[in-house]
Amino acid sequence: MKITRVILIVIGLAGLFLGALIMVQKERPDQILGVIVWIGAAIIVHDGILSPLLLLLDVWMRRAGRRIPFGVLAIVQGGVVVGAIMSMLVLPEIYKKSIGTKNPTILPLDYGLNLALFWAAVALLTAAACAIYLRRRRASSPASSASID
Amino acid sequence: MRRLLAYTQQALSAPPRNPRMAVVIGRLLAIAFLLCFGTGLYSHFLQEPEPWMRFSTVPAQLYQVTQGIHIAAGIACFPLILGKLYTIYPQLFQTPPVKSPLHLLERASIALFVGASLVQITIGLLNTYQWYPWKFGFREVHWALSFVVIGSLAIHIAVKLPMIARFWTRNSEGTRELRGETAGGETSGETAPDAAAPVAESAPVGGITGRIFRWIDGAPSAEPAVSRRGFVTAVGVSTATVVALTAGQSFAALSPFNIFAPRVKGTGPNALPVNRTAKAAQVLDTAVSPDWALTISNGPRTVSLTRAELLALPQTTVELPISCVEGWSQMATWKGVRLRELLNKVGADTAQGLKLTSLEKKGGYRVTQMGPEYAFDASTLVALEVNGDTLDIDHGYPARMIAPGRPGVLQTKWLSKLEVEA
Repeated sequence: MKITRVILIVIGLAGLFLGALIMVQKERPDQILGVIVWIGAAIIVHDGILSPLLLLLDVWMRRAGRRIPFGVLAIVQGGVVVGAIMSMLVLPEIYKKSIGTKNPTILPLDYGLNLALFWAAVALLTAAACAIYLRRRRASSPASSASID
Repeated sequence: MRRLLAYTQQALSAPPRNPRMAVVIGRLLAIAFLLCFGTGLYSHFLQEPEPWMRFSTVPAQLYQVTQGIHIAAGIACFPLILGKLYTIYPQLFQTPPVKSPLHLLERASIALFVGASLVQITIGLLNTYQWYPWKFGFREVHWALSFVVIGSLAIHIAVKLPMIARFWTRNSEGTRELRGETAGGETSGETAPDAAAPVAESAPVGGITGRIFRWIDGAPSAEPAVSRRGFVTAVGVSTATVVALTAGQSFAALSPFNIFAPRVKGTGPNALPVNRTAKAAQVLDTAVSPDWALTISNGPRTVSLTRAELLALPQTTVELPISCVEGWSQMATWKGVRLRELLNKVGADTAQGLKLTSLEKKGGYRVTQMGPEYAFDASTLVALEVNGDTLDIDHGYPARMIAPGRPGVLQTKWLSKLEVEA
């Protein structure tokens, strides 16, 4: 294990060195600063904004859904996660299309409409998954069914 | 401050936030990163080959597949990296924040790893629809960051290797401890939520922060098994979904599901998407000029052929894809003159490469090189027609190059000069 770790660290340092070398050779100092700003911003956006929001959403759902079975909450959260990640990739496309692309074959679809349809499909599948989950739960423990609704 | 960090870490603890999950998602993410890196290197050297490099011209779809994988794996990185970061997020609030100079170095390297990875996949994604809201060069920075990311990955694996080994399989020592199967002993590893130092109940944090923590603590707790299973399912379904609904721009089998990719097969003039238009390349006049002729030269030997003369030569039809560095690709039927027949007219040797010049006024790909393996391949054409029609001006009228297994940017449009290299 020790040799593996040493080799990995050597490879890693070589990679970092090469990356830095390419950067200083090909980019102007103000462009390199731009890259550093982007890296810093990425960390802040993820660690300082997205993650705390996710925590708040999770806690809020657990509090608001006190009387809802946890499995249902987990399925709903899963649906929200899938929809949110897809939206994260598609929203910039919608914005870019609105400010214009370099030619009409770039971003040719109606991404807003597709995203709305996608969310509808996610909602439908989430509801179906919840229904199946609740039916199975009721079947396995008839006594607890009273507490579901 | 320390107490606040400890509270935060405890408030953030959740069943999926454990080292086993970090290993499971981390492995998938590492595979996606390595796929991106490998296919990226291939694409880079196709565009900027070292003089000794020769590439395979078969199968003709080779680049279509490697670059399609590059983009699909890059898109898959979004849910995977968010999932991975989710599992380790409480580590951000570890106490004490810095234990030693080495620990500081480790944390700094992780910050660089995370930040560089997020930037890498983000600028890569935006490049697929040619959006550059920054002042640095995309190609250069994407190239440099690939080494930063892979280098940081190697260092990260080296640092975490003992932990990775402890949680590698379902039955590894650490995984069993997490499940509580081994009695006694210290539980789990450093990222386990239970490992967060227990916060003294008697010393609550006051003020707004205190209220937030009480609000969090007041929520019903998650059921660990359901929570973990839900997490893995959410990451898995997200990854499958983002790939399935975009990869149709590269892979024909998925094109019916393509509702979110920036490119759609079959759109554009000649039923083919366009990367750079004739207008952008400033060839609207020169490309339709009656004076146009393709010049082929080998030292002092020069041949000049008009479009009519090219059309009068034996025509060959080939099925070849246009495969863009931005990931989209499309099969098309091309008709034109075999390049090697033109090269024979100037007595070129099969060991010699070519320099291609386009009518474009400027641009990184105005002048490009072509290795002999492509120049003398039977399916490489100076194409005059595509999909049964005259080349559209946006697809390179009066004549363009089409060769097997090359990036679209090297399939030079609006050809002007072909020079055999000594």
